[in-house]
Amino acid sequence: MNQSNSMSTKLEALNTRLLDYARQAGAIHADALIVTDIGESVSVRMGKIESVEREDSQGAGLRAFVESTGGLAFASASTSDLSDEGLRKLAEQTIAMARISEPDPDAVPPVGAMHPDAQALDDWRRKHPYKTHGWDTETAKEAALACEQAALSYDKAISNSDGAQASFGESCITYASSDGFVASFPNVSASLSVSVIAGSDEDMQTDYAYDQARVAATLRSADAIGREAAERTAKRLGASAYQGSKSCPIVFEPRVAKSLIGHLLSAINGRAVLQQRSFLADSLGKKIFPEFIHLVDDPDHPQGLGNRLFDGEGTACKACDIIAAGELKLFLTDRYAAGRLQQPSSGHARRGLTGDIGIGSSNVILQPGTDTPEAILQDIQSGILITELMGFGVNGVNGDYSRGAAGFLIENGVITSPVQEFTIAGNLLNMFANISHLGSDLTWFASTAVPTICVQGMTVAGQAE
Amino acid sequence: MLNLMIPATADDADLYLEQSSSESLALEEGRVKHVSASTHQGIGARVVCGETAGHAYTDRFETAALLEAAKAARAIAGQGQQRAPVAIHSQPSAHQLYLPENPASGLSMQDRKTLLESIDKLARSLDPRVKQVFASLSNSFDIVDIFTMSGQHLSDARPLVRLNVSVVVESGDKRETGSAGGGGRFTLSHIQQTDMVEHFTREAVRMALLNLDAIAAPAGPMPVVLGPGWPGILLHEAIGHGLEGDFNRKGTSVFSNKIGKQVAAAGVTVVDDGTIPNRRGSLNVDDEGTATSRTVLIENGILKGYMQDKQNARLMGMPATGNGRRESYADPVLPRMTNTFMLAGNDKPEDILASLDRGIYAVNFGGGQVDITSGKFVFTTSEAYLVEKGKIIAPVKGATLIGMGHEVLKKVSMVGNDLELDPGVGSCGKDGQSVPVGVGMPTIRVDELTVGGTEGGQS
Repeated sequence: MNQSNSMSTKLEALNTRLLDYARQAGAIHADALIVTDIGESVSVRMGKIESVEREDSQGAGLRAFVESTGGLAFASASTSDLSDEGLRKLAEQTIAMARISEPDPDAVPPVGAMHPDAQALDDWRRKHPYKTHGWDTETAKEAALACEQAALSYDKAISNSDGAQASFGESCITYASSDGFVASFPNVSASLSVSVIAGSDEDMQTDYAYDQARVAATLRSADAIGREAAERTAKRLGASAYQGSKSCPIVFEPRVAKSLIGHLLSAINGRAVLQQRSFLADSLGKKIFPEFIHLVDDPDHPQGLGNRLFDGEGTACKACDIIAAGELKLFLTDRYAAGRLQQPSSGHARRGLTGDIGIGSSNVILQPGTDTPEAILQDIQSGILITELMGFGVNGVNGDYSRGAAGFLIENGVITSPVQEFTIAGNLLNMFANISHLGSDLTWFASTAVPTICVQGMTVAGQAE
Repeated sequence: MLNLMIPATADDADLYLEQSSSESLALEEGRVKHVSASTHQGIGARVVCGETAGHAYTDRFETAALLEAAKAARAIAGQGQQRAPVAIHSQPSAHQLYLPENPASGLSMQDRKTLLESIDKLARSLDPRVKQVFASLSNSFDIVDIFTMSGQHLSDARPLVRLNVSVVVESGDKRETGSAGGGGRFTLSHIQQTDMVEHFTREAVRMALLNLDAIAAPAGPMPVVLGPGWPGILLHEAIGHGLEGDFNRKGTSVFSNKIGKQVAAAGVTVVDDGTIPNRRGSLNVDDEGTATSRTVLIENGILKGYMQDKQNARLMGMPATGNGRRESYADPVLPRMTNTFMLAGNDKPEDILASLDRGIYAVNFGGGQVDITSGKFVFTTSEAYLVEKGKIIAPVKGATLIGMGHEVLKKVSMVGNDLELDPGVGSCGKDGQSVPVGVGMPTIRVDELTVGGTEGGQS
């Protein structure tokens, strides 16, 4: 039995005990999450260690249901105190709060979810054996130093550094519900990032590069990450303020294209749909994208960091189509939203230690197209390649979109000069419908994979001509 | 334990103990459906030598875990002999800006429920187009104990309260939302005793209905008049972050080496003040035990100073200004803003609006963001109007405004006499850490900002 196994066993026992305390305090149903987390982060800057941070934390989050006139009422509470006394207090506090909460006839207690069976649990563990992240303070420090050094020495234009950071950690997450389901999984991660600066005084630019993986050995090399940061930063130097205002095609490189998928996912969140807080609330079964758009949610993908066997309510997860041939196939739901929308839960409950249950995807993959990014640019007479988006100008209720941006002018099919100080605006519904190209360059960002996306007819606003 | 972790080479070391409890009630579909609470405690140990810092965090209050954390911090940053032990003595904090009372005790759970239900009722009674009402009331109480290398022990008990109202309105096939809220460092009963509940509910409904009639915002550069209060987020984004000590020590801010230089129009004075009673961004002492203060950042257009924590202040040979903050024991200290605002000028707000030949009058905003290296910043309107010949024409849809931090304040041509602080809604993110902050501003005119609307772009 390795260390991770014994930790799992211990936390599962603790979690079962917490549910016992909840029952003793008056809960009819309950479920709980217990998480332990050990991690370290090494920051270096200009070739020297800037800081080492070591964290050792733990917590329990309990959701308890009580019978009340008019139905079931519930509350959630969390604590960092996993002692016997701490768990008892948590149970009592949660019950006291549940008694104040108002009954909700649609509340779904944690019984009878479509849990994975013992065989599925076993298969999953065999398929995803425990591995260590493989780093310690010393090796992480070396990686961070090498990464920064690669960035600083790649191009003469690089004048300063905001530092490099190598982080690694291991956590163990246990979920238990009062219908007897209990399971736990270790989670390991390692990440390496660097950010550098080119130029001086009022003509400075910065950019970064980053990678994240479960096992440090599978990260892109420190050298590759450093070079990417340097290359991105140097290319931006001398950016001028965009002149004029017009409507034109906008190319989102994968790093920023990812945010468009994020806006879609927020809008098909079943709870947002129920609350009428989504511009896609009435779009299920409708064609909201062109025919060539396919988006899937895959909870077991070799490259995804969002793999999971079950969601935050213990519901077994399975791969599903979100967009098929441009049509919206699914609202993401937990059991509550699913019940209200009269469909089975799609297995997208997301649970943290604190607060209520939310909704979130596992690994989301936008199927790539066949054009290289260069080929996409060739189709554009006059447009902008976006490499950075800023601000929060996205209205999820009506889809209005207006964000600050920076990138490169596209003129006669090729990239010419860096530009900044402009906004791009439109409405997400139109933007989705006006996607004209998908690149072949599918790129993974933790749990989202997306290629270059080209959207026609967005409004660009810049400086006076 | 503090003694055990300090090596002789240390420039600084401290221990930060934190006990934090919070509660939140949320109403949806006319019912208080979401009730949650959390209790967390932990300790952060830190040893600083020159530019290197070792941090260790644990939430296990067991002697062994604590000693391990202290040793870890020491091993990372320091070498050499242990320093001679110091005696610890308690120091009163410099200010008493809020009562050291758990805000939860100010209002029973039942009263909180009634308060949220009254918001639902009021919002729906104000207009039949109100279809959904969301209201939440949250409160937290954070008790910190800071032990410094010189043997000082400082304690601060920090209450924080926040009320939020948001509504969805429908008219035909149009759906819009509006929200309002506020709070500060006081007890929950304060909310009941003031007109906050009614005020924020009316505001949320008014804003949602206004959005139903909003026309597309114009696109392109134009003069912008910013209303008083929360639009001060302009200062937070455009110059505030760029004046935090760490970026300037590292030379990564567009404001590096600019002290004494003109960075804003004459008549523009900006301060960061952590000492205003009961404000969301205020603290009696910062998270390093330094008394908070009023720091002049820009005086009459000239850059005067940076916001500093102890480490960056020491490395730059400047005074610590009480701006060392951390989200929790499990995060490192960074120089952060408290309440950042522009002082009042002499112009009448109505004269400022009347000066606008064609432009935008923006009175409320969502969030903003800045790139401190290039200076570019954005912030997004949530209530704004198209103005022609000094008259309001129509409300416009939310639009992102973009500018350059080191240029925008040079374009301020009028400063109103109506300084207001925001209602207590701000949270600031930096390096993944979120802390409560405040902003404020009088009405001002900026001669040019780029407005990111959709109207007026030519193909």
